[in-house]
Amino acid sequence: MADALEIQSISKSYGKKQAVREVSFSVKEGEIFGLMGMNGAGKTTLLRMLATLLRPDSGDALIAGHSIVKAPEQVRTCISYLPDEAGAYRSMTGKHYLQFIAGLYFKEEQAQKACVQRGEDICGLGDTLNRKISTYSRGMTRKLVLARAVMTQPKLAILDEPTSGLDVLNSLDIRNAILRCAKEYGTAFLLSSHHMQEIHTTADRAAIMKDGVVLTSGTPEELLARYSASTLEEVFERAVRA
Amino acid sequence: MMHLLRKELSELINKQMLIGLSVSFVLIIVLGVLMTSTITGEWTESGTVHIIDNDRTAFTQSISDDLSERGYTVETAEDFETAVREKGWKDAVLLPEGMTETLLERHEACQLATYTALHSTATTAMLSSGGSASIVTSAIEDLLSEEYLQGELAFLSDPVELTPYTYANGVTVQEDSTAIIQSLALFDQLMPLALFLLVVLTAQTIITAIATEKTDKTLETLLSAPVPRSSVIGAKMAAALIVALIYAVTYALGFLTAMLLTVSGRVDAGNSGIGAAFTGLVNIRNATEQLGLQIPAYGWLGVLAQLALTLGIALTASIILGGLVEDAKSAQTASMPVMLLTMFPYILSMVSDIRSMEGGAKWLLYLIPFTHTFTATGNLRFHDSITFWGGLLYQAVFLTGMTFAALKMYSSDILFVHGIKKKADTEKQ
Repeated sequence: MADALEIQSISKSYGKKQAVREVSFSVKEGEIFGLMGMNGAGKTTLLRMLATLLRPDSGDALIAGHSIVKAPEQVRTCISYLPDEAGAYRSMTGKHYLQFIAGLYFKEEQAQKACVQRGEDICGLGDTLNRKISTYSRGMTRKLVLARAVMTQPKLAILDEPTSGLDVLNSLDIRNAILRCAKEYGTAFLLSSHHMQEIHTTADRAAIMKDGVVLTSGTPEELLARYSASTLEEVFERAVRA
Repeated sequence: MMHLLRKELSELINKQMLIGLSVSFVLIIVLGVLMTSTITGEWTESGTVHIIDNDRTAFTQSISDDLSERGYTVETAEDFETAVREKGWKDAVLLPEGMTETLLERHEACQLATYTALHSTATTAMLSSGGSASIVTSAIEDLLSEEYLQGELAFLSDPVELTPYTYANGVTVQEDSTAIIQSLALFDQLMPLALFLLVVLTAQTIITAIATEKTDKTLETLLSAPVPRSSVIGAKMAAALIVALIYAVTYALGFLTAMLLTVSGRVDAGNSGIGAAFTGLVNIRNATEQLGLQIPAYGWLGVLAQLALTLGIALTASIILGGLVEDAKSAQTASMPVMLLTMFPYILSMVSDIRSMEGGAKWLLYLIPFTHTFTATGNLRFHDSITFWGGLLYQAVFLTGMTFAALKMYSSDILFVHGIKKKADTEKQ
């Protein structure tokens, strides 16, 4: 399978603080790649650079063959980005929101309708989609914004802590939706999370970041073996404290 | 209680609030000083009486002497228009040839011509209107009753009839200057009010909208979607403009209705009836045309262009300020610079003639791009083409620069790095 994402020695600083230092890894089409790290490890900065919101100080990343530095407009046509704690327009209904997002990605009406239909299927909110978003619970809003992120069938979906603050059942629904979209649409996922169990059950491969640097990466099984651990929590603790 | 109060105050009183407050404080002082000096200047000027004495008798000389004794400075000239051009006179009373004979020998009322030179339609223009006339009339009445005609009491009640003349743009017409100012003020004061509301509402709407989008992180979703940044900015500007226009039109209509109700009330209350009032309005309209105070069609196009440019500048400035705001709470404070920079020239243009201000104050005001729109109709009515078209050009250049800066900002990291950098610096410390 071809690479959906190839990060080449990317770096970013805020003033004197180096947030991301020469990070390199790749994600294949249909692959789910988990990014773990403590708060301030540089995960969000890395994801924002890939989403073309921040410009790297050095290095580059290719998404579906397009450079985030040289061709950010092309990159935006094949990615979707879900920020941490992202909300939606509270005055819109869920359905109107999905239609609005579809309109940003597709010009033809048929393509827009198909996109919205996918969004409705993914979020599973049914008739609730006709209600205003301001009436939604946190879990419902999260399902809606995840649906809008993947319904456009991007080459790469960048999700920053998609299950943050959700209960067990809502988290499970989100994880299942991610697995389904990776399988059905061949979408590659790069997701950051503090839930090791989530990474273990969802991700094909994962990396641990600390102080802007990738400490280690591999499949969950490889990581467990490398650190002689029984859980990813143990892997994380040993890698970060080493 | 104190514990909670401390928490509430620490939430409300922050660095941004203090900066905004300091800027407001300084601007209010400057505004106050400028307004006071302008109005004081008009009142100081009102201590001077201007007389054109075409009769040149002992009686007319005694009028000047009487006024001097009362503490007025009496200035005389041969001709009003020359005195306006050369000495900057704003009003005068003409004592006609034969006036002494009419009053003292024929015991008839005499006609005095009163002149007012218009330079603007601001409130202070009305202060100087007719000042000399009332003072001279009062002096004549006193002299007649106390020294010359003690026995002719019936005649003394109305010895002088005034005929008002107005001078503007090198032309003099027989019409009351106050009526002319009032007829022009309907638009000249309504338009700036609508503009002021439009700019302030637009700024607040757009800054709050961007701040909310940043807090909800919907801005990140938008800017990572395959949509040109210029479309994202353009749509925000257009939406804010439409909402602000709805507000402005509603407010302006309310204001206009109130003014019309006031005018119709005056017409009903008068003895002359609606027909006479209409004839009066037509006469005033003719007078403004003769004085060159009507704005030509191309001038209105220029005014419209200035309005559009001003709104464009306010919108782009708000887009930039909104991008720097970290949360919805700070949005109110962030709109303060736009509000003050609009309020400042708005109030000054209402109460005084900015064009005739002296020194750096005038140029400081002209540096604010909004000033040119507030003074636009005045510049056109008083044939100051250089200031009008120069202002329009300045606004166009200013808007181009602001648009470039806004696009640059929304295509750069500043939008998302601004707060993070501050946090990183704090962590370092």
